[in-house]
Amino acid sequence: MRWPKSAALASLTLAMLPHPAILCSPQNRSFVHQKRYAMGTVFEIVIYDEDLPRSDAAARAALDEVVRLDGMMSNYKPESDLSRMNRGAHFQPVRIPRELYELIEESLFYSRQSDGQFDISVGPLVDLWKAALAGGPLPTAADQASALRCVGYKKIELMPPDRIQFHSDCMRLDLGAIGKGYAVDRAAEILNARGIHRAYIDAGGSTIYALGAAPGGHAWRVRLRDPSRKLGPEVMLIDTSVSTSEQSAPSSLQGDAPGHIILPGTGKPLQTRYAISVTAPSATASDALSTTLLLLGPTKGAALVETLHNVSAIWIDPDGQRTLAGDGVRFFLTGEGHPIHVSPLKNRNAATSRAAKELLP
Amino acid sequence: MKRMSLFCMLFFGSIVAATPVAAKVFLRVEPSPLPPADKTGIQDVVLLWPVRDLSVATKLHSQGYRVFLQCESKDLAAAVVTADRAAVTGMIVTNVAAASQSPAAEQLRSYFAAHKSLTFRMLVPGGKQPQMKGRLVVERDGVLQVSTPSSQPWLDTNLALVRLAQLMDQESVPILYDFHWDMSEALPDAWHPDAGAYALSIAEADAIRSDVTIDLPGSLQRALVADDPRAWTLWKAIMPYLDFSSHAPTERVLPVVNLGVIVDDAQASYEAINLMARHNLAFESVRPSGLTPARIASWNSVVVFCRLHKEAVALLRKFAASGGMVVFVNTHDPFPWHSAPPLRRESRATVYAVGAGQVVELAEQVVDPENFARDLRRLIGKERSALALWNSLTALVTGYHEQSRPDITLYLVNYADQPDNVQVQVKGRFTRVRLEAPEEPCCVTLPFVQRGSFTEFMIPALRITARVHLDSARESSGAP
Repeated sequence: MRWPKSAALASLTLAMLPHPAILCSPQNRSFVHQKRYAMGTVFEIVIYDEDLPRSDAAARAALDEVVRLDGMMSNYKPESDLSRMNRGAHFQPVRIPRELYELIEESLFYSRQSDGQFDISVGPLVDLWKAALAGGPLPTAADQASALRCVGYKKIELMPPDRIQFHSDCMRLDLGAIGKGYAVDRAAEILNARGIHRAYIDAGGSTIYALGAAPGGHAWRVRLRDPSRKLGPEVMLIDTSVSTSEQSAPSSLQGDAPGHIILPGTGKPLQTRYAISVTAPSATASDALSTTLLLLGPTKGAALVETLHNVSAIWIDPDGQRTLAGDGVRFFLTGEGHPIHVSPLKNRNAATSRAAKELLP
Repeated sequence: MKRMSLFCMLFFGSIVAATPVAAKVFLRVEPSPLPPADKTGIQDVVLLWPVRDLSVATKLHSQGYRVFLQCESKDLAAAVVTADRAAVTGMIVTNVAAASQSPAAEQLRSYFAAHKSLTFRMLVPGGKQPQMKGRLVVERDGVLQVSTPSSQPWLDTNLALVRLAQLMDQESVPILYDFHWDMSEALPDAWHPDAGAYALSIAEADAIRSDVTIDLPGSLQRALVADDPRAWTLWKAIMPYLDFSSHAPTERVLPVVNLGVIVDDAQASYEAINLMARHNLAFESVRPSGLTPARIASWNSVVVFCRLHKEAVALLRKFAASGGMVVFVNTHDPFPWHSAPPLRRESRATVYAVGAGQVVELAEQVVDPENFARDLRRLIGKERSALALWNSLTALVTGYHEQSRPDITLYLVNYADQPDNVQVQVKGRFTRVRLEAPEEPCCVTLPFVQRGSFTEFMIPALRITARVHLDSARESSGAP
């Protein structure tokens, strides 16, 4: 996969919209729905607005922006800024676009917060296991050790305002665990700037941003991934994002199927039965945190969430065991017929970056 | 419901057959004026039966079109009488399932035999507009609801539909498929579908090597007749794809396959096979009765969706023993290889070593077709795959070759709405790789590498469709 889906699998199944009569006929509709393929997934935007031509143009512009960002952040396209940096930053500092620099800076915040579990330098390991997922042989211990040598966020040197250098001869960055979230945020900014205030942006189901409220003043109701099929978790979103992450499903034909989410510490696929959903004020944050918290697991992950502001997380396993944390948007467990309140905040960290300014008190 | 009809139609295996043909585009139009054929670039038009004013057919014929009537099988008797009197080239017969009760196979066959001046096509129901779908669908009750078939881009394709229809014997009436345009994203005053949707439909039929019927919305038909410049701008954007499709090789070709799919209940297995097609597994489907040593000679892997008779099991045992991979789905039958302990047991599958190969027995139906298809691709592995695409989640590839000739033509279709670089791996060592596309007259020679027993190359910026000709040493010396 071009963009390894660290934050994978669909989370949303339902968004309630309270104007049934106007949805069916193209001649009598009040929404625009557009989609575009980028970053190895399908980005979709639904806009509710009376001015359909304006909505249409806004959705097109937002999706154009997503495609532009794909061109900048893709590690598949050789001409992308990220690829250019990956080729050259071993030898000397490489100047990159400011927004790419800031996204890498933000990524390193999550690396520090998770003690290296979130790591955008995991690319060589991801590629190794991706080949196995695509039908190649499982990587040998030597292959893994060789790739592991290239990984480590501490070997990335930020040189403000816009230069990067690697202190490894084989390092390669991969923004697959945060890039889609960033693209969703940029799409939301463009819609906002064009006067759109009710929109729903979806990056392949793994990251969703609800701009404003749904028609009728209601929040956007989103049903989350539930591997147990018992809990029916939902959130109500207004100007909030939710991301879901889950390891690849086990193979029905083979027992040794690798997953796509790799533990940077061991170089092996993460073994977990959990699916996690994370809400945060920005899609960049929810995207990065969903991978981070899946890698950390519920115990360490909940401890991290308790240090953050406006973030909520829920881990669910196939047996229906759940762990909730955070002070952000409440989760509703419709399968149990009553809302669940997440735990109160405590033990906040100090702010250290743009992400910290949003998430840390 | 429509798919039910298809599978009822499969019951008529002896009368309706799928023969790989030239992938012609039939344009289904309203019985009203149409610009002449030399302006539209279309040769075959379809009118729905009953046609009140037969002068429409005569007029269309005089404008250079071959006119087909589309009717249900129950109306065929009346329709062919009319067709014989009017300037009609042939008949497209639908709803064959309904015929299963009454006039039945022999009666239909008698029509085909009695009207040799007419060309017949059987319509495969259940076709879908080819498109890359998102996850959002709008339901009638006002709930914006999401279907989540896959975390990857979901492609609606007709490849599996056609391949399953091709289960039938190879002798009588060719099939074609159709679909209805998805208008859910149309803005009130926009031309819809747009040129890209037409182009993709034409390209897909070309890649599947099947005829297709495409609807021309009445508003567009009237606008073309009225010389509306917007309508002609749209149509002129479609014409290069019609032209490209019409230049595809027309000789009888065989699909490039490495995987056999044995199926007797196409409906029960449809979704799994659909996902196998979508994941570019190079397969062909056969019924258990069609399983012969000659048929399996080009395979290295087999998926079995049905119970097999003893001879077929013996054949597959021999196939596995010589290095083949066999996957049984939802099987609880005793097999000869059970006399030895399994190689391993997984939660849902048991794996047996059989000679140089393996047999995998899945003890349940395919629950998640998406994962099944991906698992299958991984199980088969790169070394056994005849065709593989990398980093191309929105592209479909099919390959064809002439009998006893090593040269291959690949057909690629990109369902996304922007160009994509497509990396291709093909089994075989070829000495020349040539690309042609609607925007790239034949042919551009592509750089390639030979890696082991494979040839690898990249198609830069595949827009909607392309054909790639892989020439062997013998052919490359004389080809243009």
